[in-house]
Amino acid sequence: MSQVLMLTVLVMFQIGDGSHVNKRFILVGDKVDPNNENNVTNSTPVQTNLSTCVSSQNSSSSYLDRAKCVLDSYPLIDGHNDLSELFRTYANNSVYGTDLYSDLRLTWDPIEAQTDIPKLKAGKLGAQFWSSWVTCGSQYKDVIRMTMDQLDVIKNIIRKYPEVFKYVSTSQGILESFNEGKIGSMIGLEGGHSIDSSLGVLRMYYELGVRYMTLTHSCNTPWADNWHVDEPGYNGTILGGLTPFGKKVVQEMNRLGMIVDLAHVSKKTMIDAIKVSVAPVIFSHSSAFRLCGHHRNVPDDVLYLTKANNGVVMVNFYDKFVVCPPNNKPTAELTDVADHIEYIRDIIGVDHVGIGADYDGIPSVTHGLEDVSKYPDLFAELIRRGWSDLDLQKLAGRNVVRVFRKVEEYTVIAINRFETVYHP
Amino acid sequence: MSQVLMLTVLVMFQIGDGSHVNKRFILVGDKVDPNNENNVTNSTPVQTNLSTCVSSQNSSSSYLDRAKCVLDSYPLIDGHNDLSELFRTYANNSVYGTDLYSDLRLTWDPIEAQTDIPKLKAGKLGAQFWSSWVTCGSQYKDVIRMTMDQLDVIKNIIRKYPEVFKYVSTSQGILESFNEGKIGSMIGLEGGHSIDSSLGVLRMYYELGVRYMTLTHSCNTPWADNWHVDEPGYNGTILGGLTPFGKKVVQEMNRLGMIVDLAHVSKKTMIDAIKVSVAPVIFSHSSAFRLCGHHRNVPDDVLYLTKANNGVVMVNFYDKFVVCPPNNKPTAELTDVADHIEYIRDIIGVDHVGIGADYDGIPSVTHGLEDVSKYPDLFAELIRRGWSDLDLQKLAGRNVVRVFRKVEEIRDSLSSMIPIEDHIPPQQYVNSDCRTDF
Repeated sequence: MSQVLMLTVLVMFQIGDGSHVNKRFILVGDKVDPNNENNVTNSTPVQTNLSTCVSSQNSSSSYLDRAKCVLDSYPLIDGHNDLSELFRTYANNSVYGTDLYSDLRLTWDPIEAQTDIPKLKAGKLGAQFWSSWVTCGSQYKDVIRMTMDQLDVIKNIIRKYPEVFKYVSTSQGILESFNEGKIGSMIGLEGGHSIDSSLGVLRMYYELGVRYMTLTHSCNTPWADNWHVDEPGYNGTILGGLTPFGKKVVQEMNRLGMIVDLAHVSKKTMIDAIKVSVAPVIFSHSSAFRLCGHHRNVPDDVLYLTKANNGVVMVNFYDKFVVCPPNNKPTAELTDVADHIEYIRDIIGVDHVGIGADYDGIPSVTHGLEDVSKYPDLFAELIRRGWSDLDLQKLAGRNVVRVFRKVEEYTVIAINRFETVYHP
Repeated sequence: MSQVLMLTVLVMFQIGDGSHVNKRFILVGDKVDPNNENNVTNSTPVQTNLSTCVSSQNSSSSYLDRAKCVLDSYPLIDGHNDLSELFRTYANNSVYGTDLYSDLRLTWDPIEAQTDIPKLKAGKLGAQFWSSWVTCGSQYKDVIRMTMDQLDVIKNIIRKYPEVFKYVSTSQGILESFNEGKIGSMIGLEGGHSIDSSLGVLRMYYELGVRYMTLTHSCNTPWADNWHVDEPGYNGTILGGLTPFGKKVVQEMNRLGMIVDLAHVSKKTMIDAIKVSVAPVIFSHSSAFRLCGHHRNVPDDVLYLTKANNGVVMVNFYDKFVVCPPNNKPTAELTDVADHIEYIRDIIGVDHVGIGADYDGIPSVTHGLEDVSKYPDLFAELIRRGWSDLDLQKLAGRNVVRVFRKVEEIRDSLSSMIPIEDHIPPQQYVNSDCRTDF
């Protein structure tokens, strides 16, 4: 209590000196919120800023300055970026033959190339779950080979630009990397089809650094339904969510400490996974169904389950998931993405929302959020709407770190190992 | 020089006190041989014994005692054991559902189950390259999935019995593990078909702990010939050794620090690989062609290349590779395996021979070497034949450690080399129904 008081005093003192960009470094462990839900509580002295970026001025340029201040104070952790997919499509997976400092819109694709190093720096990205994705057309074929190639690409990107990226596989690593001025780089596996129904393969992916797995991409695995089954007129196989083996997959992920990601899955799969998982889950790149009724988004009842699960929904910027029929708006705007974020906050609380833009994995973009340099503009809009520093930090990364840490805590050395190969 | 003198004095002193089992701990870095070819030269204080196990007594029971003494003094590092294959065959890969302390001959197979923990302890194994093998029939299909499953099995075995095994991925780790009384456990990948012609996959296997790769199993990859092509009457595809992409595979292995293993490959592949590799190579489980003319064995001219390459040939105990036509001996005996070891030593020197028994991967065995408990008997035979302590240690493991360390040094010297991102030329990439349609 006394520390909160002291903090308040210091804040008041600093506002008084007229500067609108005030930072006070607090050591990890200082209590910022009474419930201590969002603080880094380990004793390792990683410093995160409790900023006082949001002041009472209201000119719009200062909104942007204040947004950048917030993003300097705590890492922005984006849940999903498909850069490695574009390396496959446009560069035959050659990281060392490509200059990531160059404007890849000129050499790769003017719309789809949304990530390069200058833009990442302008966008003040603090950490990233880099997606390793393989097309559903490879399922039952060479999906594992292709997955391994994508993991190799991600690691080569991190290795080639050590001044920009730092490989991270723990929650603590994200904060340490941020303190070193690097973009903490984690690996997410987009699609359970990549394990080819083998828990042994899942375990090997974890050893290779995979820290979340999206249970499906846009196709069923033999053990989980994807979002297509929720579409009207769907005519194919329906497993009914997670099969018993699918539940074992989730349990093994819990045991390993791999975050369960429920983007791309069907509603029943979302519900089954949240029920089975002993750890919080994420939606690495999904938005709010209530605002845009696309079945890639999260319906309200699942939002409530996610809150109960202590998970995080990381909002997707793909225009088709932001504004969609029956909403007849011709384009999606940055303000629409801000609406999704605020809707989720209003429904289940600011502790359960994050950002997973899906950059480099989308063929069309939201106006004002065309590439990875635009994150500060989104934060500026939220500041204009009255978001506090702490809530912005939660949105940016505190929530994700909380989930990641909880997932690590639940890693249990089990007696029973789930070693059975799936037998259809 | 003075240290060698000092060592000699101490040795003489110790022999004089009448005990036939004398050990003197020497610190890493002490010079035992003038050329310093076999010493651990790092400054980390891992103690290895320079034993004086071999004395002038000649009763046979003391040969065995002396053999055990040697195996207590330096780790016996076997090049190839297929235990994980039997887990797949007999236990559906369930490590946690199987008791490795039990006699698996009773539950798995009376001949093929050659490895269990009690036998490993009796055999005084110091370290093992556990083989991850997938049948050639899986090539171009689900070979990577199956390989990952085998890697998982090996890691589970190590994890389940931490009192017995310790996971190792460096040369130094072998010695540290030995000092802790554990069997240092490394991973070898048996068959280049497991990378499905992708250097990215090769790199990921290295990250998973794979420290050697046998370039082929008993089938060609799209980039290397296997030993079958040397057989009379062979009628299939011949690539002519390593293709250009195959040479890139070897170069990338050098860059990563993965040991090149030339068991199972054709003679031309052996020669090509030794020419391309900047690091020493091994034959993880092959014997001498001159004594048994089976094309899984190493012919003399390749033995000479291996010596020039500073590599090691690790002798296989499979009876069909030890005694074979036109030799009409009905069985292979332990003495025949000793003959292979001595032949290689005589041809290219004691610095280039080792042991890779191929236990759990063979359907029939050499008499006297039926399972992993029998290693001391082999060493006893060599002691009977007059082998010195140091030469026995070289055979047991010093040679392998030398190779492993050189491979690591070369990896470090190649740190400026960027990963090879080449893909196999499309026309050489073998297609099947199991490829994505783009």
